[in-house]
Amino acid sequence: MLLAAGILIPILGGFLAYIIGRSSPRAAGVFSFMLLAVSSLLFLMANYLYASTVPAAAGPPIKAPEIQVYREQYDWRPIGRFGFLIDGVSFPFALTILILTTLITLYSIPYMVHRIQEEGVEDVGPRMGLYYLLYLLYSAGMVGSVLATNLVEFYLFYELMLIPSYLLIAEFGYGDRNRIALMYFLWTHVGALVLLAGLLTLGLSAGSFDIPALNTAAVPEFIKSWVLLAFLIGFGTKLAAFGLHVWLPFAHAEAPTPISALLSPAMIGIGGYGLIRFAVQLLGGSVAYTTSLYAISAWGAATMVYGAVMALAQSDIKRLLAYSSISQMGYIIFGVASGQFVGVSGSIFQYVSHGLGKGILFMMAGVLILQAHGLRDIGRMGGLAGRLPITATLSFIGFLTIFGLPFLAGFHAEWMIFLGAFTSPLYRGDWARLYVAAVALGATALTAAYTLWTAKRVFFGELPRHLEGVREAPALAWAPMAVLAALSVLLGAYPGLIAAPALERLKTLLGGIVFG
Amino acid sequence: LAEVLPPSLAAWLTFLLPMMGALATPLVARLGGRVRDWFAVAVALISATLATSMLPLALEGFSRAYSFPWIPVLGINAGVLVDPLSVLMATVVGWVSLLIFIYSVSYMEGDPGLTRYWFLMLFFIGSMQLIVLADNLLLLFFGWEGVGLCSYALIGYWYRDEEERYVGRLGHVALGVPQAYSPTHAGMKAFLMTRVGDLGFLAGIFLIYASAGTFEFTALARDTGWASALERHGLLIPTALLIFLGAVGKSAQFPLHEWLPDAMAGPTSVSALIHAATMVKAGVYLVARVAPIFYAASRAVGGVDAFFQTVAWIGAFTAFLAASQALVSKELKKILAFSTVSQIGYMMLALGVAGLSLSFVDGFTAGFLHLTSHAIFKASMFMVAGAVIHVTHTRFIDEMGGLSRSMRISYLAMLLAGASLAGIPPFSGFWSKDAILASVLGADRLPLKPAVYLLASATALATAFYTFRMMGLVFHGVGAGHAAGGHAHPREPSPLQWVPYTLLALASLGAGILAPLALEPALVEAFSKHLAGLGIEVVGHGAALNPLALATSLTMALAGTGLAWYFYVARRAEPGRFLRGPLAGLYTFLENRWYINSLYYRVFVYPVAAANAWSYGAVERGFFHRLNDGVAGFMVVFSRLGNWFDLHVVDGVVNGVAWVSSLFSLQVRRLHTGLLQQYVVAFVVGVLFVLLLLLMLFGGA
Repeated sequence: MLLAAGILIPILGGFLAYIIGRSSPRAAGVFSFMLLAVSSLLFLMANYLYASTVPAAAGPPIKAPEIQVYREQYDWRPIGRFGFLIDGVSFPFALTILILTTLITLYSIPYMVHRIQEEGVEDVGPRMGLYYLLYLLYSAGMVGSVLATNLVEFYLFYELMLIPSYLLIAEFGYGDRNRIALMYFLWTHVGALVLLAGLLTLGLSAGSFDIPALNTAAVPEFIKSWVLLAFLIGFGTKLAAFGLHVWLPFAHAEAPTPISALLSPAMIGIGGYGLIRFAVQLLGGSVAYTTSLYAISAWGAATMVYGAVMALAQSDIKRLLAYSSISQMGYIIFGVASGQFVGVSGSIFQYVSHGLGKGILFMMAGVLILQAHGLRDIGRMGGLAGRLPITATLSFIGFLTIFGLPFLAGFHAEWMIFLGAFTSPLYRGDWARLYVAAVALGATALTAAYTLWTAKRVFFGELPRHLEGVREAPALAWAPMAVLAALSVLLGAYPGLIAAPALERLKTLLGGIVFG
Repeated sequence: LAEVLPPSLAAWLTFLLPMMGALATPLVARLGGRVRDWFAVAVALISATLATSMLPLALEGFSRAYSFPWIPVLGINAGVLVDPLSVLMATVVGWVSLLIFIYSVSYMEGDPGLTRYWFLMLFFIGSMQLIVLADNLLLLFFGWEGVGLCSYALIGYWYRDEEERYVGRLGHVALGVPQAYSPTHAGMKAFLMTRVGDLGFLAGIFLIYASAGTFEFTALARDTGWASALERHGLLIPTALLIFLGAVGKSAQFPLHEWLPDAMAGPTSVSALIHAATMVKAGVYLVARVAPIFYAASRAVGGVDAFFQTVAWIGAFTAFLAASQALVSKELKKILAFSTVSQIGYMMLALGVAGLSLSFVDGFTAGFLHLTSHAIFKASMFMVAGAVIHVTHTRFIDEMGGLSRSMRISYLAMLLAGASLAGIPPFSGFWSKDAILASVLGADRLPLKPAVYLLASATALATAFYTFRMMGLVFHGVGAGHAAGGHAHPREPSPLQWVPYTLLALASLGAGILAPLALEPALVEAFSKHLAGLGIEVVGHGAALNPLALATSLTMALAGTGLAWYFYVARRAEPGRFLRGPLAGLYTFLENRWYINSLYYRVFVYPVAAANAWSYGAVERGFFHRLNDGVAGFMVVFSRLGNWFDLHVVDGVVNGVAWVSSLFSLQVRRLHTGLLQQYVVAFVVGVLFVLLLLLMLFGGA
């Protein structure tokens, strides 16, 4: 019941939030915060108090004896069972989503009031109510999709996060928002449909839509290759992998900033979850999967490099962060393509650390918009460290998390990904992939370049005259950043909080070979 | 002592205390600025004492790691390693840091950003001691990047980038590349350039882990199967070289040396601590830590001579390259920075030849001895330089002069430390340099040994020359400031400044007197045990004094000193005559840093920036954005087609949605009914597509 309640509370509470918002916009924000806080609490209880030890599910080629999971299931005939599962793979994803969505309800209060007033709306209440309704539906969709245990259920939640986020961009975004929202919708929706095709095909040919009951061994190899292709296109679109990425910079730059801080850090990475849960877990043993690892890792490396290069060419802070997200998703793809449990765990860690780091940075962009009259052009920034000391310090932690500095979460993702990427080809004598790994390692230098350079352009140098009056953001804006920064430091010291369950779980799926 | 304070605890606290102190700094700062400053000094003092408390054990050859499980699934532990190398290094780092901290209290007084300063300085000591004490490569990398971060943030400490904070002469351009950099530019340059080396380091670490399944030094030394595993793939020497690349970046060796001269944009106390005495030695320390392991582990598979040869050659070449640039530099701190690069080259050379000779311990000890003596005299020189720059209001030596009268103590301190740098006996620099030259001569497997020896000797000559050129221009002659009627009134700084650097200057003399008698033998003994523990048995320590090396180092030091004395101290001839005449071309070449800096900007920085802009214009906007527009156009056509569905199929659904929405008076309906229709259309078409696909697939089966 815990997880079902955890997902229903924000969905049902959202309508209440809408009604509350009409009379008091701030109360709607606080109410939404409480809803998601309760969800998070239920989730943590489920994971830490009620998880049980079960024999590891069948998975090639080496089995660990047992793993810790929490599972609840409801009858959902004829499709199967409607269930929720916390294991080492879904835990980090769901936790990150819950942390981000909970914190950003608070951040949204000052930001969205400002945003709505900026549009010339007198009565902020109803608009805030609508915002929080959509926000909560969107959050529930994200959490539901990473906890789902059934292919069709997964798709339903996947759509549930798509539609509200589309409306949030169209209703509250910047610039040419209707068109941009539509393009966002179209790209990701077509991706989702291709994915649906894959899910249905897999479910029908494996005899069940329930993931634990799927018997992929019986599925003919050629079907597996088609399904894998559908997964790659579907999740590749969500991850904004190179070639399928064009919607992202528009959507993430023009969404209202709190939503950008969910789209980039929380949502797109769910594509990475999908790859791990469906491509690696369900198709991991297939010939199609093993033979395409080379192509996938090259695709990941290309995305890493391309996103970083594009980020270096941007002058709009939100677009820069958006391109950075593309690059960071490349890390996830690249890690998954190592096909080795440390590397894949690194991808999971990357999702978490990117969520923390990029969450901070989008909030930083929001603070600049909020405190400096909609300032987004990096060319017009500089010297702000003196005016915004708290924001600058926290943003620095954000930049360095993306940079991959040890002591912060980002580094653990990086070394695990690259450990996987180096070890797995090395002992197959697969030199080509070793070269890809070298290219990808080079991309981390580009990442270092754009993070440091951006930090310099925003916070250092001379303070332009027009920014002399800028004042520090309200506590509601910086406190969420501070929490994320603290988590990044915490995970930097104790990576095991996230890494240990992920590693244990993936070891049972992929085999525990670290070295030859 | 070991009973009161077990070495395990001492080692952990040596690096943890400064880190915790850093975190506490913002809080302590609330008690007042002075409290905060002295708090930092106290933390540094405790840390140094803790490091020293392990010294007696370490000199006996004690070696043990203390670790706890960190990521148990992967068998990764976090731990400290207490052995002669780590403890000796930690002691040097601790005491030099302490003196520079005391100096900072006075030197940085009144700066508005001091809480940030002390936070970073304390975090720096913690990270540096972590590098030194870490028992595995992964943890070492933590400290490695930690000091990199502090270095970056402290080079760019004056983040407002005022012009007087720049490094380099404004307007100086070589090959179209400006040679003056703002503090934040210099900081970024340092971090990025060292990052290049770090990537190699990381790759090397992974290759080792991939074959050994561990990051731990003791385990790598104990079970050497990994070396043969790597050798089977032909990767043993590449792995060693990748790790060395990390050291090259951090220790500013060719070809990644260009960041260090510009790092002088930071406060001088930072230059003294981070960019002279400690952090830049981390690369040397890494080689000293890892090279013996490679040496011992690779004997079964034919050794790693190519690795040691590369280290030796890069060291020798860098030593010469940087010394040649110091000859002509006009900025006081930059002379010292070039000199640091050059002296670290010597240390690398020593470690390189250690693996190429019969007696590993000779080169190894020579390298460490030079590391120590350089840390002492160079920290002292930098601190004097800081005081001088402070009172003269200029960083250019041609705008200084005559300071020996007004700054007597500082002059003497600089003279003592400078004599050590120049390699004049009996100062410590003489003995350590001599030991390096001697071990070069002992390296049997060094190709082109005479050339290396020549480079090292030429460097010794240049070193003595640029040291006394600097001394002459800064302290002798007539003060340019006075001549121009400037308002600079040079006087001795506060004792908080001159006591630390005078102490260090005296220490370089003291160490010099002790070196041949006690210091070097003690080090040889400790390191013999250390190396024996790694499986490198010590074959008869070579003669302490090699007559040829002794003659060379004496001649070079005296010749260089004499020449510089003639031109710049006694001022018997005007050097400008030569520099504008026959040597003009060479002078420009050296002044422009062999054009390497400019080439890097021309080859790596500018083209990458241009390529980014180009690919953004041509690929992203030229192709992908058009693709997006095309899709948008298609969408319009598609939605018109969708009208048919709207009329016949979809209306019912939409009305249903609208009805639900109206219950909550959602504004969604007003704006988005049209879009929702498209959504449903897309959905229906999607389902059709799925069915089609399924039919295709199962039709085939």
